[in-house]
Amino acid sequence: MKIYVTGAATTKFGELWGVSPRTLAHQAVGSALKDANTEASRVQALFVGNMLSGMLGGQEHLGAFFAEELGLSVPAFKVEGACASGGLALHNAVNSLVSGQYDTVVVLGIEKMTDHKPEDVATALMGAGSEEERSAGATFPGLYAILARVHMKEFGTTEEELAAVAMKNHYHASLNPNAQFRNALTVEQVMKSSRIADPLKLLDCSPISDGAAAVVLSTIRTKRSIKIAASVVATDTLGLAQRKSLTELAATRTSARRAYGKASVTAKDIDVAEVHDCFTIAEVLAMEDLGFFPKGQAARAISKGQTTVGKAKDIVVNPSGGLKGCGHPVGATGVKQAVELVEQLRGTAGKRQVQGAKVGLAHNVGGSGATAVIHIFKSPK
Amino acid sequence: MNSPVKIWRNQKNIAGLVGKFGTILSWTIVRVPPGDFTDQAPYPVVVVELTGGGRITCQLVDYDEKHLVFGQNVVTIIRRVTHPDPDGVIPYGIKAKPV
Amino acid sequence: MVGIVSYGTYIPRYRIRISDIARAWKKDEAEVSRSLGLTDKSVPGFDEDAATIAIEAALRALQSAQSKPTDIDVLFVGSESHPYAVNPTSTIVGELINVGHAYLAVDMEFACKAGTAAMQTIAGLVAAGHARLGLAIGTDTAQGRPHDFLEYTAAAGGAAFILGKDNLVAKLLADTSFSSDTPDFWRRDGMRYPSHAGRFTGEPAYYNHVIGAARQLFEMTQTTPDDYDYCIFHMPNGKFPREVAKRLGFGSAQLASSLIVDHIGNPYSASSMMGLAAVLDVAKPKQKIFMVSYGSGAGSDAFVFETTEQLTTYNKQRKAKKMMVMDQIANKTYIDYIQFLKQTHKL
Repeated sequence: MKIYVTGAATTKFGELWGVSPRTLAHQAVGSALKDANTEASRVQALFVGNMLSGMLGGQEHLGAFFAEELGLSVPAFKVEGACASGGLALHNAVNSLVSGQYDTVVVLGIEKMTDHKPEDVATALMGAGSEEERSAGATFPGLYAILARVHMKEFGTTEEELAAVAMKNHYHASLNPNAQFRNALTVEQVMKSSRIADPLKLLDCSPISDGAAAVVLSTIRTKRSIKIAASVVATDTLGLAQRKSLTELAATRTSARRAYGKASVTAKDIDVAEVHDCFTIAEVLAMEDLGFFPKGQAARAISKGQTTVGKAKDIVVNPSGGLKGCGHPVGATGVKQAVELVEQLRGTAGKRQVQGAKVGLAHNVGGSGATAVIHIFKSPK
Repeated sequence: MNSPVKIWRNQKNIAGLVGKFGTILSWTIVRVPPGDFTDQAPYPVVVVELTGGGRITCQLVDYDEKHLVFGQNVVTIIRRVTHPDPDGVIPYGIKAKPV
Repeated sequence: MVGIVSYGTYIPRYRIRISDIARAWKKDEAEVSRSLGLTDKSVPGFDEDAATIAIEAALRALQSAQSKPTDIDVLFVGSESHPYAVNPTSTIVGELINVGHAYLAVDMEFACKAGTAAMQTIAGLVAAGHARLGLAIGTDTAQGRPHDFLEYTAAAGGAAFILGKDNLVAKLLADTSFSSDTPDFWRRDGMRYPSHAGRFTGEPAYYNHVIGAARQLFEMTQTTPDDYDYCIFHMPNGKFPREVAKRLGFGSAQLASSLIVDHIGNPYSASSMMGLAAVLDVAKPKQKIFMVSYGSGAGSDAFVFETTEQLTTYNKQRKAKKMMVMDQIANKTYIDYIQFLKQTHKL
């Protein structure tokens, strides 16, 4: 059974004070259906990726909530996996089509974070980690900082090289009209920004954002549809202390290996990738865990521009601006990554277009690596 | 408020983990704390490799700058963990200090 | 015969100089230090309280003993800074040091003599055969109102004594108590800081009860100060214990080893108990110790101990593991007045 993305759209990402979750959903889903040239009545199920609606807004039951809001009286599901909620929603939607249960479904990734105090958001995000980590006061940046420190010791990765990841993603974001940040960033600015959890600084960290993204999936091919060649999930231990290694995310490695197998490609075949750069170190780890660069060499390569639009020879990473530049409304990210890759493979990505992109990879992670979701997309040619 | 039932259920884990020796595998210093920890920041969070096997993540206390190095010897102790509500049950838990 | 089987103490590592407190309030630093007779006091970490300190002291007492935590039949915790107004500290401590469930847990409260009241009570239970092994803990994270003179001396620490009939390092030869209703220092329910009656805390309170109990004990045992190698008195500051020792006829050599107040201030319920531990750390076998505590409100518990031959080996292993009171006094790091306010939750 072949699964296609027939429509894709995102809202603007950012501090959208005046925009409610209901409005975000209408914008994203409405545009995606229009892009798919599909009537709402054709939609047979709705998958909603979201993490914080309950903890912050007191609203659970998002499947029913958005089904009603969007006028879709169909089976509806909230899917949650921390920051991988969007990717997991996509994966579950894919499975529902593969099962033959439906032939056309909508996936909505959505998050509204700016309604709440940053301390409350930080506390809620710690729900992605383990109880032990919460008792220790280990914030989300704190966990990735712990990983960064080991990577810096083992491989000599420097804070400047990490800063270069943020710089690149801001450059890409400046080419993306929907991105939260449109300003260029220098390595110096990142290095001077205030420390959040040593060695990570403010500008090493993705922001708190609002936003939504939606895709229409179908078993029926259309003129502009993009094929989903693989949809794979892997899980690892919740907490860092229980991992086998602190210099890799095993869930990324496992899911990537299986995804490459399913899509009959290797890392070298990927032309464009949207990876989970919740923190600069996360992109470095992803480059190595996904097999794009040898262990210990990714940071240097990124800082040399080897994954930057217009400069890269083999692969462009995070042309949307990534989580850092485009913004990270938690549940929306996994779906936004799919939208970006669809546009890249259609050739409609404008100033950030990766020339001749044929194979794209989306990498979405939950927590400090307890869940990893990989989707591989292929253009129809 | 912390659940008194959860605190009670967790006691066995705490009692069994005190007085254990280990070394620091990695650490960070949290400078922007979550709500429950506002009056503690900045504070170090460490991942400790226990001598008897296993690893834990916890706060490091009673330390000097020089103790934040790979391989630093530590021992586990009992301290208050999160800041309790004025009318809530006090959560005690495991932290580490350098030896 | 009842006596001390093992003991353990704990002092938080933080210290503040009395002169730094004085300077914050624009007082004459030298004058304050001189009138109180001390230079530093101990300060608890932000995450320490009377329960965590009691646990540290108890674990050390257990470490030096040959008994298992489950051998403890009674566990009393005496403090004036119990973490809860209603909820026992003794069971928090008991649970986290693994004593099991077959024990009597009691919380005690009597200003600075809550710990020695525990010792006296447990000694009675053990002597009566009602308990084989008892753990008496005096522990406090004492607080003084900012700018009040008690702010200079209210400190933190814990001392735990395991009492029993066998394997004693010191025998309890006699004990007595002197009590009256004397409102020299008190704290009403709901008030954060204690209040006191100024100079009234001297003669009619501290001196009257310490001397009263001491005289009772001399009478009971038909002894005089010359019969003792060491004496220990409750130490609210550096002056009172020195003065009362002199009045009772003890020499400074007898008192010297007990004066933990000079280094860490007044850890309230742990004060005289930690003084006792400091004396036992340096005592030789077959030496006599005279100890009188004081708790405002008011009362004094007085004890006569005699060290045994076992003390020598016992002390050797404590010394080797750096568990002596002087080792803990030396393990210190100074903080400033602002850090002190943060750690004691005033900021």
